[in-house]
Amino acid sequence: MSAVLSIEGLVSGYGRSRVLHGVDLEVRAGEVVCVMGRNGVGKTTLLRTVMGILPATAGRIDWDGRDIGGWKPYRIHRAGLAWVPQDEAVYPGLTVAEHLTLAGGDGRALGRAFDLFPALEERIEQAAHTLSGGERKMLSIAQALVSEPRMLLLDEPTEGVAPSVVQMLIPALARVAHSCSLLLVEQNVDTALALGGRAYVLEKGAVIEEGDIRVLHDEGILHQRLGL
Amino acid sequence: MSGSLTDLFSVVALMGVFVLIALGLHFTFGMLNLVNLVHGEFLLIGAYTAYSIERATGNVVLGMALAPVVAGAVALPMERGLLRFLYERPLDSLLATFGLAVIIRQTVQLAYSAVPRSVSDPLRGSFQVLGVNVPRWRLVIVVAVLLLILGMWLLLNRTPFGLRARATVRNPTLAATMGIDIGWMRAWMFVMGSAIAGLAGSLLAPINTLDPQFGLLFLVNSFLVVILGGQGSLAGLVVAGMVLGGSLSLLQFVIPTVFAQIVVLVIAVLGVRVRPLLVARRAA
Repeated sequence: MSAVLSIEGLVSGYGRSRVLHGVDLEVRAGEVVCVMGRNGVGKTTLLRTVMGILPATAGRIDWDGRDIGGWKPYRIHRAGLAWVPQDEAVYPGLTVAEHLTLAGGDGRALGRAFDLFPALEERIEQAAHTLSGGERKMLSIAQALVSEPRMLLLDEPTEGVAPSVVQMLIPALARVAHSCSLLLVEQNVDTALALGGRAYVLEKGAVIEEGDIRVLHDEGILHQRLGL
Repeated sequence: MSGSLTDLFSVVALMGVFVLIALGLHFTFGMLNLVNLVHGEFLLIGAYTAYSIERATGNVVLGMALAPVVAGAVALPMERGLLRFLYERPLDSLLATFGLAVIIRQTVQLAYSAVPRSVSDPLRGSFQVLGVNVPRWRLVIVVAVLLLILGMWLLLNRTPFGLRARATVRNPTLAATMGIDIGWMRAWMFVMGSAIAGLAGSLLAPINTLDPQFGLLFLVNSFLVVILGGQGSLAGLVVAGMVLGGSLSLLQFVIPTVFAQIVVLVIAVLGVRVRPLLVARRAA
């Protein structure tokens, strides 16, 4: 199957500080791809560059055969990519309903989001700042999903979330993977293994390992590269 | 009795004027955080639009209806051509809007000269309310302020545009990744704020002398209202406009206007210092 997202020689960073030094990566339709690596290797920078929040200084990002490098984030979102950031993923003053309306969800999409996260339906009129950390994480995933993206970019979805919520999030994400591709950044090996698929390991802004995540795990490569 | 009721109405009218001149700034400075020194010139554009249309057609109400359109039409290329690059650069935006304000003032002076002009009062005379003479046009201004506040509240809190505007202001990066074109959202907010300022200028024209410095009369007070009310808070703006307008009006009964304006400035400064403490106490 051909790649729906193809990244070649991507160079990016913050101002004059380079973080990514020529990343090559691809995601095929319906695939789960996990980007792993220690803190500060450029995982979040990679997602932010794909979403158009950071400019790529070199390289190419192809989405569905079109070079989306230089596109504005709203255009990338409308092309079918949705982003779930690690922090500040919701608006504290807006209600759950307002978040989902803002994300452009119609009745069918809202139904699917509530089917995935029933707790949100019970809190539909509550402001986001009154939700628990886990519920805010669910809301950020739900608001990305109601636009019916073809690919979901998730930045450490289980980071800072209570273990009980993680146990609920993983099967939910596995269900999401049936309807769209997932490109997730994750440090938690158990979460990544639970979702399966392929993995890329980043070090100093470049890919140093790539392959089936279970193979990388079984051969001890993940533990060696991530310093576990 | 009737004397104090007349005084009371003049206090209310000045409260209305203070709120009116700041409503447009709620969008451009309060929400977009743009240090918008050209705000007063949109009041000027609105006032001169009313004047020009009245001169051309004899219909001042038509001029007032067109004032926000003209102000908005001037604002759009200004935002797209220059200001959109300056939202995260307060010093640059201050300098740029100061320069634009000078250009607009000088252009108006070239076109109309510095000779004071006047705009007709569409509703000359006054009503009798409880034995008090209430100037009709000042009552219209108070009613217009109430309608504008209601309209702005509904727009910001009950429409998809308002929801996107609030999202854009609070977290532009997140809004952009949710499919919102934040560039155009900011542009429409700037246009809306400028159009409201244009309307305000046209409504104030019949009760003020018109010259190219007209906008400067209101600029400082409109900033005081938005700063005291808390940037981004429409309710705060209304309260601050009432406090400052009411204070100025009451003080003018006992001290000269210049000193009254100084006291109002002190009230605003104290209010800005005290407000965070009150907010913190309420939160606790």
